[in-house]
Amino acid sequence: MELHHFFTAQHVLIVAGKGGVGKSAVAAALALASARGGVRTLHVSLDAESIAIPDHDLLERVTVTPGRALTDYLSSKGMGLLSRQLARSGIVELVATTAPGLDDLLVLGRIKAFEKELRADVIIIDGPAAGHATDFVRAPIQLKRAISSGPIGQQADEVLDMLADPARCRLMLVTTPAITPVSETLDVAEEIRSTVNISLTPFVVNKCDDPVPAVSSAPGETYLSEAHEYATRRAQAQQHATDLLRRNTSEELLVLPREHLTGSALVESLATSLTAGIEALP
Amino acid sequence: MNDSPVRTTCSDAQVIVTCGTGGVGKTSVAAALGVSAAESGRRVVVITIDPARRLADAIGLSGSLGNEPQRVDIDAPGELWVTMLDVRETFDNLVRETSPTPERAREVMENSFYRNLSRSISGTRDYMAAERLHELQADGRFDLVIVDTPPSRNALDFLESPERLARFLKHPIVRLLMAPGRGGLRFAGAAMTPVLKAISSVVGSDALTGVAAFLRAIDGMETEFSRRALAVAATLRGTGTHFVVVTAPSPDALREADHFVSELARLGITLRVVVANRMPPRFGSLSPSQERERAASSSGDLAVLHSLAADLNDDAERAETGIADFVTRTRDRFPGVPVARATELAEDIHSMPTIGVLSRQLAEPETRQ
Repeated sequence: MELHHFFTAQHVLIVAGKGGVGKSAVAAALALASARGGVRTLHVSLDAESIAIPDHDLLERVTVTPGRALTDYLSSKGMGLLSRQLARSGIVELVATTAPGLDDLLVLGRIKAFEKELRADVIIIDGPAAGHATDFVRAPIQLKRAISSGPIGQQADEVLDMLADPARCRLMLVTTPAITPVSETLDVAEEIRSTVNISLTPFVVNKCDDPVPAVSSAPGETYLSEAHEYATRRAQAQQHATDLLRRNTSEELLVLPREHLTGSALVESLATSLTAGIEALP
Repeated sequence: MNDSPVRTTCSDAQVIVTCGTGGVGKTSVAAALGVSAAESGRRVVVITIDPARRLADAIGLSGSLGNEPQRVDIDAPGELWVTMLDVRETFDNLVRETSPTPERAREVMENSFYRNLSRSISGTRDYMAAERLHELQADGRFDLVIVDTPPSRNALDFLESPERLARFLKHPIVRLLMAPGRGGLRFAGAAMTPVLKAISSVVGSDALTGVAAFLRAIDGMETEFSRRALAVAATLRGTGTHFVVVTAPSPDALREADHFVSELARLGITLRVVVANRMPPRFGSLSPSQERERAASSSGDLAVLHSLAADLNDDAERAETGIADFVTRTRDRFPGVPVARATELAEDIHSMPTIGVLSRQLAEPETRQ
């Protein structure tokens, strides 16, 4: 598939995955690959602690945190002074407790506003650090049960419209090639499809080890054949988990190698692998 | 001779709390600690707060786990039970137990705000985890509770949730909403304070009405809520509760482990054991560069094997360095904290026999580097 087409097929790409799968690095690498492919890209981090991404002219970055989203929202409703008072007195927490999911909805609302302003050709969201993808995208539905009218109810409807439209928004699930993360990813995919009706991009299988070359005999010392057996069994276990994912989904898979790099070198390397993987997609 | 930090914790603690980020094998470690404790004759229950099915997967239980503890069949003088936090059920039980009449309990449980609250994932889950811990501790069937915290940065929030709840119930706005005779549901119009008006304009008046009805329904019960909350807080800060930080040697896992260590320090809690899990194994006694030299000077399969051993030993060395640096940083805050180690197995852990392997590795006496 052509890189440009892959990224501009939707306006918003939400990247989600459990802790330890490398979701943030994958989201950063996607943003870099997209900008390098000539697409105006906005990388949105939902975590104040941001990841290092190499600079690019077409890449803009922004951080949206729930607290900020709420005060911004109140300011936009002409309650700027009040919102600052609320934040100081801890009422923001109370409001969030009153309406569970409100913080997530406001974050999604901000993203929807970026989309409307045409801030970029594609907006790549590094999903919520804590909590789960399911809760995040289901926030508008959950919230509508409590609040059906007023500005929040309307906001929830607009966000749901965005999530359900594959031309506007898609979800990319990231996993590693092991049974537990794969089965959790399949559960999340099923739950999200059946509730929010959000479309999925290909799945990312991150941190895959290189295939182990076969040896005809076992020459040399015992530890060498032990090393070979260990590496072979590990590769088989990874293959088994990847097959499980492939069997249970109709989406394509983007397989990324396990890297020993950190920081922007890691993002660089993953971006190169992602570009090759996307171009190889049918 | 009992020089194993894990064995000491498993025989002394009343509560063990494991924390760590996703992917480090925290749930498997919690289960392995449960096995060790059951082997020393204790009646252990492992509770996972993670809504996912990691624990069931980790010990190879095919069915799903619920709030009611399930006994695991193991060959040990003690007992091993496992359970998963069900936020809704725990909250319902709490309401039933603290409610003066069954009618009042029903009124609370039918309230729209309550239904949202018990479904919501963040603050309520933390508080219910603490409440469930309180119940399990009081349960005569168990003498050790192992808490497997969720794999998130905020995993330790539940430690502060009792105080947070008490603060919430004392909040002026909450008191205002609870106040009898101040209009209750009729706080529309002139009687409404600007703050209530603002909240109402954001969340809608239905939601606020629901909150007010909820708060009035639990009126009187909140004293008992707070009492229990404070009892749990005291347990968690007591010497019978042992905190264990679980990490893997990857840079991102270690960064998160640093975060947990500093959180514990901030909360004034002692870290008892560091678990370095998923340590890649080392093969033979040669260094990666020596293996590479051998690969260069040999050919065919032998060259392939030496180069493979070089790669694997590279992983092992990187891991050793990462963990050693982490332990040094951690011992600045918690001098002499012991480290238990476990090797990364070739396959994922999802059966009792592999948990047994992990448990034996962790229980080995510490070798000082």
